[in-house]
Amino acid sequence: MARDHLMSQFLQATLYGLLQGGVFALVAVGFSLVWGVMNVVNLAHGAFVVAGAYLAFELHSWTGIDPFLSVPVVAVALFALGYLVQRYLVNLVINAPVFITLLLTFGLELVIVNGMIMLFTANYRSIPTGYATTSLALPGDVRLPLGRLIAALLAVGLTLALGYLMRHTRIGLAILATGMDRGAARLMGIKAAHVYALTFGLAVALAGIAGAAVGTIGTFSPADAGRFTLFSFVAAVLGGLGTMSGALYGGLLLGLAEAWGGQLLPGTLVNAVAFAVLVVVLAVRPQGLAGRSFYAARVEV
Amino acid sequence: MPTVDTAAPATGSPARPSEPGSVLRPPRWRRTTPWLLLVLAVVAGFGLQTQLYTGQERTASTILMFVSLAVAWNLIGGYAGYACFGQVGFFGLGGYTTAVLMTHARLSFWLALPASAVLVGVFAALIGAPLLRLRGHYFAVAMLGVAEGLREVVTNVPGLTGGGAGITVPTVDAGAPTRWLGNDGFYVLFLLLAGVLVGVGLLVSTSRAGYALRAINQDEDAAAAMGINTTVAKTMALAVSAALTGAVGAAYAFQQVTIYPERLFDVDITVLMVVMVMLGGAGTVIGPVIGAVAVAFASEWLRQHYPLVHTFLLGGLIIAAVILLPQGFTTYVHDAVRTRRFSPLANLRRYRL
Repeated sequence: MARDHLMSQFLQATLYGLLQGGVFALVAVGFSLVWGVMNVVNLAHGAFVVAGAYLAFELHSWTGIDPFLSVPVVAVALFALGYLVQRYLVNLVINAPVFITLLLTFGLELVIVNGMIMLFTANYRSIPTGYATTSLALPGDVRLPLGRLIAALLAVGLTLALGYLMRHTRIGLAILATGMDRGAARLMGIKAAHVYALTFGLAVALAGIAGAAVGTIGTFSPADAGRFTLFSFVAAVLGGLGTMSGALYGGLLLGLAEAWGGQLLPGTLVNAVAFAVLVVVLAVRPQGLAGRSFYAARVEV
Repeated sequence: MPTVDTAAPATGSPARPSEPGSVLRPPRWRRTTPWLLLVLAVVAGFGLQTQLYTGQERTASTILMFVSLAVAWNLIGGYAGYACFGQVGFFGLGGYTTAVLMTHARLSFWLALPASAVLVGVFAALIGAPLLRLRGHYFAVAMLGVAEGLREVVTNVPGLTGGGAGITVPTVDAGAPTRWLGNDGFYVLFLLLAGVLVGVGLLVSTSRAGYALRAINQDEDAAAAMGINTTVAKTMALAVSAALTGAVGAAYAFQQVTIYPERLFDVDITVLMVVMVMLGGAGTVIGPVIGAVAVAFASEWLRQHYPLVHTFLLGGLIIAAVILLPQGFTTYVHDAVRTRRFSPLANLRRYRL
């Protein structure tokens, strides 16, 4: 009997981990894209996730629109924000050493997070939905929460869609080409400044959608921005940089590690799991689990 | 113009211009002037103390603490060029080591401070050995992970560290190992720490190790090919930088009396160190000092005049400074004087797409 209970607990944790991991994948995929294409580690990524959550929250409280239906609005708004930030801010220092872009995005993070604290206070919120508490009963005494399922399906679907976009559309190929060799891409008539801004806009839009999903399945506050950036980093590094499928594997693995860690570890030690995974992976296999990124082969012009 | 040094090597073989190393030696006045200036600055610091009232004295102590932290970070981040984004982990570890030693072992602060520095240095060498193989962003975030992990560990051993509720160092009761130093005492402590750290920075800057670290910064493979043991050099740089940071953390913990993991492992402290060094001029002796004084002063001023939007404005300031002065103030002045081009807009043209 106790054994059955443990088994179902384990299955439940695994299911939660996979659902959470799907959302992590969507949080991470934009981060990984920006890093892979532009060699910029965007420390403000988590802040954009939280900004998306707040936008969905506000839309919901003004118009009562379901957070999953407000996704297109959130995506368009954050795409515009990201495009402008890259075009008129990050592009100014894009050729500078690593430190400079890190510091710039950190300054951005401070501005966005504190701006949100001024606008929305630092209180924790969540977007209420009718189906968030509904769950389907699965065999083996495992419950499948509907809200999390929708969020995870949306997240995985968008991550796969981004992978398709990158490989099979003109704009995706332009982004990949610019990431591989900017000089050659410019010679082929690609406007690098515009493509970079599009890339960043796309990444920020995906972060915003992830934020809307996060807001429905849990709580959020401006203080969570750093956590989301870290999750993105871990997932991106775990999977290998710049590949959309890498972010997906990385996100799912991280979700599982967090869920199992939550079952096995006492206290708040589960918060350290992401860091532990990160440090171990970096020390043992820095190129990630899914192999090398295309960035390594890039020539700077 | 290289000159032959006749006075310094009194016992060993006299340095001849033909010897490797001696050719690069600057004239004696260039070697002694920085030390004289350092002594003068410390003396001026003592003089300044007599003119400050209590609130100003506390602010000045904070600024001096950040001078020390920036100088310590400069060793690994500025000279070696390794973006250590987990420096606050060493700060917090040093602070907690001192707090735990003073609370549980009733050890005097004057023993706990060096003990903390040594422990943090050894810890940094142990984690540095595997992690310093990483470069660029990877190293930055691995260290970030180490610092956050340390905070979680400290939070989760409440028996030793008091956990999230914090730990209070005994400073006033009869059993207190060392009495609290008072505002004046802590000003002097931070002033002397800053003086010693700038002195270490000066020593490193002109030593073999300093040149080795600069070479690693410019091209690690080339440095290794020139016969520099890069692993040893990097690990030593990280360990020394961490030990000094740990000593500053120890002093901070004693000054604060009650410390919390949230504050002692606050990632903003790391970022402030990085911002100070980058804006002042990485890889120079005076750059981190100028950057630390300017940024710490600006931060304190904003905190006192715009308490609600202070971090928001600080973020905007960082963005503007990074775009307009990416190579740092010292390096900018140095290059501008040499090339006679004073327009900061040249920076914009250099790094933009």
